[in-house]
Amino acid sequence: METNPLQVSEAIALINQTLEYAYPTIVVEGEVSSFKVNQNKFVFFDLKDDEGTLGCFMMVFSLRVPIENGMRVRVVAQPKITNWGKFSLTVREVHPVGEGNLKRSFDLLLAKLDKESLFAADRKRVLPAMPTRIGVISSTQSAGYADFIKILNQRWGGVEIIVAHVVVQGTDAPKQIIRALEHLNQLPDSPDVIALIRGGGSLDDLSAFNDEPLVRAVASSRIPIISGIGHEVDTSLVDLAADVRAATPSNAAQLIVPNRQEFINQLNRSVLRIGDQYSRRIDYLLNRLQADQDRMLSHIYANFERLKEKLSLRQALIRQLNPRLALSRGYSLLRGSNGMLIDTANVGDSVTIETKTSTILAGVTHVEKRR
Amino acid sequence: MLKKDDESLSEQFKKLDELVNWFEQDDFDIEEALQKFEESSEIANLIKTKLSTLENKITVLKKSFDS
Repeated sequence: METNPLQVSEAIALINQTLEYAYPTIVVEGEVSSFKVNQNKFVFFDLKDDEGTLGCFMMVFSLRVPIENGMRVRVVAQPKITNWGKFSLTVREVHPVGEGNLKRSFDLLLAKLDKESLFAADRKRVLPAMPTRIGVISSTQSAGYADFIKILNQRWGGVEIIVAHVVVQGTDAPKQIIRALEHLNQLPDSPDVIALIRGGGSLDDLSAFNDEPLVRAVASSRIPIISGIGHEVDTSLVDLAADVRAATPSNAAQLIVPNRQEFINQLNRSVLRIGDQYSRRIDYLLNRLQADQDRMLSHIYANFERLKEKLSLRQALIRQLNPRLALSRGYSLLRGSNGMLIDTANVGDSVTIETKTSTILAGVTHVEKRR
Repeated sequence: MLKKDDESLSEQFKKLDELVNWFEQDDFDIEEALQKFEESSEIANLIKTKLSTLENKITVLKKSFDS
């Protein structure tokens, strides 16, 4: 071996080859320390326990949840020696370990994204009232998906549903969901709304929905998103970033389409209302017609009464003035030879006396005038 | 096809809404009212039939979103 020595870089390469062969991946758990990010691209930290320390390196986009010094984490990594002879773990995935750390990581990310106003109320869009195309991102094998589709079909029809099947748990879930989101957003005939559905379950792992790149993808989706992640206890960051949050997959179906029964009831009410208004109008016009008729009749009646009265008066007058009346009361009419009524005569004249019963021709023998 | 059907569904809803509003006036013409009343009945029945019979079309994408 001394006769064929390796160069330094060759030695490093050889050792790395061996490492890659023997340990393509190792999973190590420890406490984070000396955490730093350089140039917003390169992440360095140490992983340690009571007796040992290992340096770790990763790219910032692989850091999908925040970690900090003192946090216990698990890394999935490949061991390497760098060109500078430093032994380090090249980390592909890092996950906080233990509820406290998970919560801590969650809180850090929540604060960070909140500060960027990713969860602001005015960023949230209203879902379309009657969507014609709905995108669904879910695991088609999950109960949540089945519930969602069932309630959707019960409530409404005539909608085109495009389903992107993904895993909703595990480390691959965020990446698959992000790809599905991008795909649906870029479809030429894209959906009006996207439902992100995960089957109910309380103790299940929600961590995929607290993945930073996924949360950002949900917040920046051109198409509005409703999350139906169905976790009984916790709210995920995807829930906060979505335009609408549903409590469960079934609830998501209720929020995303109307209920045809309600519409049918509303339709019936509308038709009844129209009927009522129509009928009311007819009643109103009939009443008015009756009132007009009444008014006209009473007007005519009044006129006739007036006329009758006038005529009666005339009649009375005529009767009064009618000479015949005088005759019937015993008076006589005195006429001269020319037939006209006279009230005096000369002696020797011929006069005609008309009584009730007779006409008498008489000669005047004596006249006495009164003053 | 589905989209066009649904577009006319929204249009029909709108037409019915307009008819309801027309009947809310104080003094509409009785002759016109008869015709509009019949129209509203027709539209309502059309919508109800459509709503009751239209089904959803589900397409599961063949594309895999695996790594």
